[in-house]
Amino acid sequence: MSGGQYHRPHRRAWFMERPAYIRFMIREVTSFFMAAYLIVLIVTLAKVGVGEAAAAEWLQALSTTGWKVAHAVALAATVWHTITFFAAVPQAMPIYIGEDRLPAPIAKIVMGYGPWLTATAVILWGVLR
Amino acid sequence: MSRGKSGRPTRPSGEAFWWALFSAGGVMAAIFVPAFILATGFLLPSGDPAAAAEGAQRLAALAGWWPVKLVLLGVITLSLFHCAHRIRHTLMDLGMRNLAGFLKLPCYGGALAGTVWLALVLWGI
Amino acid sequence: MAETKTITLELFRYHPETDSEPRFQSYEVPYDEDWVVLDAINWIKDYVDGSVTHRWSCRMGVCGSCGMMVNGEPKLTCAAFLKNYYPFPIKVEPLVNFPVERDLVVDMEGFMDKLQDVKPYIIRDDVNDTSEGEYLQTPAELAQYKQYSMCINCMLCYSACPVVGHEDDFLGPAALALGHRYNKDSRDQGQSERLEVMLRSEAMWGCTFVGECTVVCPKHVDPAGAIQQAKAMGAQEYFKRFVMPKGAGATKGAGA
Ligand code: SF4
Ligand code: FES
Repeated sequence: MSGGQYHRPHRRAWFMERPAYIRFMIREVTSFFMAAYLIVLIVTLAKVGVGEAAAAEWLQALSTTGWKVAHAVALAATVWHTITFFAAVPQAMPIYIGEDRLPAPIAKIVMGYGPWLTATAVILWGVLR
Repeated sequence: MSRGKSGRPTRPSGEAFWWALFSAGGVMAAIFVPAFILATGFLLPSGDPAAAAEGAQRLAALAGWWPVKLVLLGVITLSLFHCAHRIRHTLMDLGMRNLAGFLKLPCYGGALAGTVWLALVLWGI
Repeated sequence: MAETKTITLELFRYHPETDSEPRFQSYEVPYDEDWVVLDAINWIKDYVDGSVTHRWSCRMGVCGSCGMMVNGEPKLTCAAFLKNYYPFPIKVEPLVNFPVERDLVVDMEGFMDKLQDVKPYIIRDDVNDTSEGEYLQTPAELAQYKQYSMCINCMLCYSACPVVGHEDDFLGPAALALGHRYNKDSRDQGQSERLEVMLRSEAMWGCTFVGECTVVCPKHVDPAGAIQQAKAMGAQEYFKRFVMPKGAGATKGAGA
C-alpha cells in the first residue's frame, strides 16, 4: 500500500507518553475524588436534616480510620486541584495595568491564594468557635 | 460535523454553557472545598459520643443559618458541575470520544440530581 | 580532537512510492559543538544521502518550517543543539499528529484550513477612507494581543497537544491563539463572526488545558492561556446571544 501519505497509528495510551501528560491526568482525576467527597458532604447535611441524634451518630461513624483515610485522600486531591487551578489564573485572566501585565506571582496571590486562605480561615473559625 | 470554510454559518453548541459552570465551579471548589473537608472530615467527627453530639450541634447551628445555606448551595452545586464536566472530558480524552454526547447524561444529569437532592436537604434543615 | 568525534542521527524515512511502512536509518555525523540538529540533517543530505527530504529555510527560528520530533519532543531543529544530546544518538521524526508526506515532511493542509477558519485578519463594519488615516492604537491596546501575534506557524504546539491527536474538529492551539489575537485587537470588529466558528462543539471546547502547547512554543505565544481567555469570551458571547437572540439589534457580523 504505497504511494500515499503515512498516518501514524492512533495512540490509545497517549497519557503515558510524557510526564506532563501524567501530571495532567492526575489533575483531571482529582475531580473523581472531589465528587465523591461532595456526595458524602450532602449525606452529612442530610443527617443534620434528620436530626441532631442522627448527625451525631454519623459524625461518630466518620471518625473511623477508613473514613479518615478517605478524607485525607480527598483533601490531598482537592488541594492539588486548588494549586493547579490557581497556577492557570495568570494565563487565563491576565490583568493589565496600562501596558504591563500584573506579574504572575502577584496575580496568583490576589486572585487565588489570598481569597483561599481568607475563606479557609473564616470557615475554620466558624466551625471551631 | 465538517469543518466549514470561512464564512460558512455554523451552529454554536451548548458546550459554552457547561464550560461556564465548570469554570465557576472550579473557582468555588478551589477556594472552599479543602476547608469543608477539614471541617466535616477531621474537625467535627469524633469517636467520643459526647464530642460527636457537640459537633452535630455546631454543624446544625451553622447549616441552619440561611447565609450558610446559600453558600453551601452555591459552592456544592457549582463544584458538582465542575466535577461532572471534568469527568466527562477525562473520559473523552481517555478514548471515549464517540460517546461525547451520551456522557452528558450521566455526568451533567448526576450533577443536576445532586443539586436537587442538596436543595431538598437544605430546605429541611 | 574535535575532528574524530561523531554523533549518530536516526532519521525517520518514508518514501511513499517505494515504502509501505516507515523505517529508521542511522547516519554518523561529525560532531560540532556549534551545530544544531538541522545542520546535521543538511550535512547528511549534502554528503551522504541526497534522498533525505526535510523542510527548512531561515536557520534562525523565524520561518517556522524546520519543526520535527527530536527524541520525541517537538522542536525547531535549527534551535536544537547537538551538544544537548551528545554523546547519545538523536532520533528525528516528522511532527506527530500530522500525516507524513515524505521522510521528515508533513502535510500542512489541515493546519492551514484551521488557520483560515478563525478569520485571521482585521474585520471592520465601517472601512475608513484612506484619506482619514490609519486606525490608531495605544501601546496599552497593543499589549493586549501582541504576545499572541508572535506565532511563526511552526506547528510544534499541534504535536504537543493530545487533543489535536484525537479530535479532528479541534482547531488547535495556534489557530485559536491567532483568532484570539484578532478578537483582542482594538481595531477589529469581527469578534462575533470569529466566535461563531470557535463556539462550535469541539472547535475550542475540546481543549482540556493540558498546557503543553505553551511549554513547547518557541515564541512564547502561550496558546493555552489564549484559549482559556477565548473560552471565557465565548461563554460571554453565548449568554449574550441567549438573552438577545440573533437578529434582534445585531449589528455586527450579521451579514455573510
Ligand atoms: S503558537 Fe507557538 S508552537 Fe504553535 S505554531 Fe505558533 S509559534 Fe509554533
Ligand atoms: S529553519 Fe526557520 S525556524 Fe528553523
